[in-house]
Amino acid sequence: MTASTRDLRFAIHDVLDYEGHYGALFGEGTASRELIDAITDEAARFCEGELAPVNQSGDEIGCTYSDGAVTTPPGFKEAYAKYVEGGWAGLSGDSNYGGQGLPDSISLIMENLMCGANAAWTMYPGLSRGVVEALEHHGSDEQKGQFLPKLLSGEWTGTMCLTEPHAGSDVGLARTRAEVRADGTYAISGTKIFISAGEHDMSENIIHLVLARTPDAPAGTKGISMFVVPKFNLDGSRNAVNCGGIEEKMGIHGSATCVLHFEEARGYLVGQENQGMRNMFTMMNAARLVVGLQANCQAEAALQRALEYAHDRLQMRSLSGPVAPEKEADPIIVHPDVRRLLLTQRAIVDGGRVLVYFAGQIGDTAAAGEGQAKQDAQHLMDFLTPIVKGLLTELGFESVNHALQVFGGHGYIRENGMEQLVRDTRITLVYEGTTAIQGLDLLGRKILQTQGPGLNLFVGLTKELAAELESEASLAGYGRTLSAMADECGELAMNLAGKAMEDLDEVGAGAVDFLFYSGYLTLAYCWGRIALTAARGLDGSGPESGGSAEDADFLAGKLAAARFFFTRLLPRAAAHKAAIEAGAPTLMEATAESFGPW
Amino acid sequence: MLEYQAPERDIEFLLFDLFKVQESWADIPDFAEISEELTRAVVSEAAKLASEVMAPLNQAGDQSGCTWEDGAVTTPEGFKGGFEALAGGGWLGLAGNPLYEGQGMPKMLACLLEEMFWAANTSLFLYGSLTTGASICIDSHGSEEQKATYLPKLYSGQWTGAMDLTEPHSGTDLGIMRTKAVPQADGTYRITGTKIFITSGEHDLAENIVHLVLAKLPDAPAGSKGISLFIVPKFLPTEDGGIGERNSVASGSIEHKMGIRGSATNVMNYDEAVGFIIGEPNQGLANMFTMMNYERLSVGLQGLGSGELAYQQAARYARDRLQGRSVSGPQNPDAAADSILVHPDVRRMLLTVRALTEAGRAFALFAGQQLDRAKYADDAEAAKLSELLTPIAKAFLTDRGFETSVMAQQVFGGHGFIQEWGAEQIVRDARIGQIYEGTNGIQALDLVGRKVLRDGGATLKALLAGFDLNTVDADYREALAAAFARVENATDHLIREANADPELPGAVSTDYLDLVGYTLYGWFWAQMATIAPDDEFGIAKRECAAFYFARLLPKTLGLEASVLSSSNCVMGLAEEAF
Repeated sequence: MTASTRDLRFAIHDVLDYEGHYGALFGEGTASRELIDAITDEAARFCEGELAPVNQSGDEIGCTYSDGAVTTPPGFKEAYAKYVEGGWAGLSGDSNYGGQGLPDSISLIMENLMCGANAAWTMYPGLSRGVVEALEHHGSDEQKGQFLPKLLSGEWTGTMCLTEPHAGSDVGLARTRAEVRADGTYAISGTKIFISAGEHDMSENIIHLVLARTPDAPAGTKGISMFVVPKFNLDGSRNAVNCGGIEEKMGIHGSATCVLHFEEARGYLVGQENQGMRNMFTMMNAARLVVGLQANCQAEAALQRALEYAHDRLQMRSLSGPVAPEKEADPIIVHPDVRRLLLTQRAIVDGGRVLVYFAGQIGDTAAAGEGQAKQDAQHLMDFLTPIVKGLLTELGFESVNHALQVFGGHGYIRENGMEQLVRDTRITLVYEGTTAIQGLDLLGRKILQTQGPGLNLFVGLTKELAAELESEASLAGYGRTLSAMADECGELAMNLAGKAMEDLDEVGAGAVDFLFYSGYLTLAYCWGRIALTAARGLDGSGPESGGSAEDADFLAGKLAAARFFFTRLLPRAAAHKAAIEAGAPTLMEATAESFGPW
Repeated sequence: MLEYQAPERDIEFLLFDLFKVQESWADIPDFAEISEELTRAVVSEAAKLASEVMAPLNQAGDQSGCTWEDGAVTTPEGFKGGFEALAGGGWLGLAGNPLYEGQGMPKMLACLLEEMFWAANTSLFLYGSLTTGASICIDSHGSEEQKATYLPKLYSGQWTGAMDLTEPHSGTDLGIMRTKAVPQADGTYRITGTKIFITSGEHDLAENIVHLVLAKLPDAPAGSKGISLFIVPKFLPTEDGGIGERNSVASGSIEHKMGIRGSATNVMNYDEAVGFIIGEPNQGLANMFTMMNYERLSVGLQGLGSGELAYQQAARYARDRLQGRSVSGPQNPDAAADSILVHPDVRRMLLTVRALTEAGRAFALFAGQQLDRAKYADDAEAAKLSELLTPIAKAFLTDRGFETSVMAQQVFGGHGFIQEWGAEQIVRDARIGQIYEGTNGIQALDLVGRKVLRDGGATLKALLAGFDLNTVDADYREALAAAFARVENATDHLIREANADPELPGAVSTDYLDLVGYTLYGWFWAQMATIAPDDEFGIAKRECAAFYFARLLPKTLGLEASVLSSSNCVMGLAEEAF
């Protein structure tokens, strides 16, 4: 069991009780603890054996483009073949189409371990999952039969084609055209950019999910339709979609980021015309959760290496006397500022992990639950999705930078892999909607437009947890903090709603700071649960027995990290509150010209 | 394409309106001759060099990087011409000793110029910065003969400098270094060992490279008290000032790095290389620190330059990029969408970058002013202040430099991740500033341990007490007073608790440094807003000041809370529990 799967097990078994959750939702025995552990071990073996070894070389060599074809870095193709062979692609896929039918949240475990081992490689199967989701929800039975089996076996991979040169965050500006043909298919024409996995040599076919407009479509996002455009048609002929080039990027060099040209390519409408944007959101939400997870796992990989380095690297003596007198210096983990760097990462990564798997649980209920529980879960998911994406990518990037810093100058050179982690993680703040877009989604769509049912439900959960914490003497302070912050978050939302009625710019002006504020609240909720689990484990009343010294150390470490989070990181929320209250005038009064460049 | 224009309007505002150098320099005999006209001419010449010569080489230098073959390093195409222009213009000796062909100009001016050169091309300017640093060290501690031999060559850039400290097992902890120096009968030394991460240790830009090497004498005491400093030239100088025999110091390889790829980072091997001691034996570390203090402020300026360069790219992109509509109705109805400048969050990012960059520039100038007063006006208070400000300048300016580069990159969305636009290069280049010349963690420890606790907070409190709130607009006084109180509160907490809890200063040092940094920026914003003229420039200043006070200064709330803790939440767990 590696260090990271130890933490993973703690999160999903001890803090979140996945077995009980599955039992309640799907019936006893759906996915036992043993099954979850077996999948975790198998996934870890695959990722460590096949993906990690080609991570650094994948970065150095990158993808190459020649005459419309993309060659992935050495070893990528072979690793993918093993992924297909292992049946990983269909883990949570519909069993009617060859999937294994396990809950969606089980896939998070695999995504987790893959992202930590090789983020660039993970892009290829990751994009497939989005296409699968879109087809499962919005495809016709015929389309499902045509595409899902090969996608779920992994023989084919998928893409999401949204962005155009002039249309990024503003998808409504997309110009790609779709004209219906006599046979009911559509001729798709246009150019898409930044298409991850748009062309490569790992699978026999690539299924593009393309947003385009029919000739009489209304302007803006209401006139967008969704199409499936396979690289090879179902009769095996080549479709008119071609890769015009790949981008030179800051990171994820092993992932091919393509320009795709569609020249009257054959496309199949998914769902109804002009419903494309809405349908796309089904998969965007799943993808956003995974991007948050990706950043957190990259941060975790970085933390593991930083920890190892901090234990091995000898520099200076501890202030309180030599800790390793037989050596010429002490390991740098004796130094408080190195510990601050490590604990900051710990606070982000452990809290973020619980947040992702908590959201995974809620997502299961939203998908498979019934009645009020299902509806509540959907509201909660609406609230949590932009937070997972926005907060965890921002903090994940901060965290990998702290890990690099632990290495000092050795972090800046390529050899140690730390700078690659920083470069690879940077994209997560951008794709699947930038942080600002997440903030607007949270504050605008999920709270102000709908009176915030998700926020209210989350505040309720937080209050319940706060009461539990307050009943444990050693954790009572966390409970009070959590409770006060939950109230304050509700007040901030109310005040923003009032101000936004006067000035719509208040929404955009407060969005990112509100995302951070509510994000720190959700992390505090997660840390509250971790602390409660650890405290009960140590005193013997909880699921972790604390029987072995190793377990006791582990749990004590969690309690210490919780203390660090509440004492040293959570106070950051105060500045976000002040920024929200400062509102739009501080941003909007300046003239456009005053921004220069002069 | 990374385009750069020096912020000349802001520079003039700071020099002549805020710091009123035409008056303060008149009081310092060495500067009395420097007219306003000369100052403007120097700034505008340097600005031209930065934008027209250095900046165009920046992106291509990153892409091609340096190459190593058989001990020789080839710098990117065009760097030779660029370095000749930098050196030939006399810019490396700008603040150098006039007795040895330096120009004796104020550090304040040098600060502004360095920021420009860093912004225009960080990799290229590193060759110059190390040279200036070496000249300062030799000027402060070298013999007359050493000064005469090396200073004119370094000021002119015919020869360049390098600082050789780090060894594979010895980075922050220099005391455990192994490089040996054996005395010879003729008074020279033979140096043997290996150093790593040596910036400009080998390259093709100059005829000679002057290595300043730390090494241990055979009978040296253990630890940092047993380190001596040596000049180890690549070619031994001849009596007539030319270059003679090749010394046995050679580059073993160069590193592949995240950024600053045009700067050669060398492994240096010394095989009984001839060295000349600087100063007294075993005083090496202290002597090296003279140079380090200079380098630390300069690295801070690098961070500042990154922020300015990043801002210029992002502002241009934001103006030109059309996405979405303003929520208050189309601003550009003729086009498919509005410029992204209509979106509040884009403005939040741009204003954050500008607020931190412009306050940083004022702060750096303030630090430079203290160095000038200490050196040329015999001002002991200023000397103490510059000691206090150096670690803040290094760490706060580079941390904010990285943060603002990342934020500016974010304005580009997906285009920021693509090499073509250059935004990602600025981020990669800026990242090193937080590490070299002492990691920012080391700076924070230096601030708390050596600069604050050692004098019981006296210098820091005197600094804050000297900021007269009655001289700034009333709007800012309350918030400033509260921020000052937070700093004092945090300082008192450290002083009170440090004896009983000796790990506390180290445990909270970084947050403490940030607390002081944000507070000082608040003071400079208030000052700038108070005197800003009523034109477009001045209005933009005041708007940015309002932004800073409303949205960034409140960070001091969380930082104070974080400092007011005990070391227990950092130190109170076993190593294994990590």
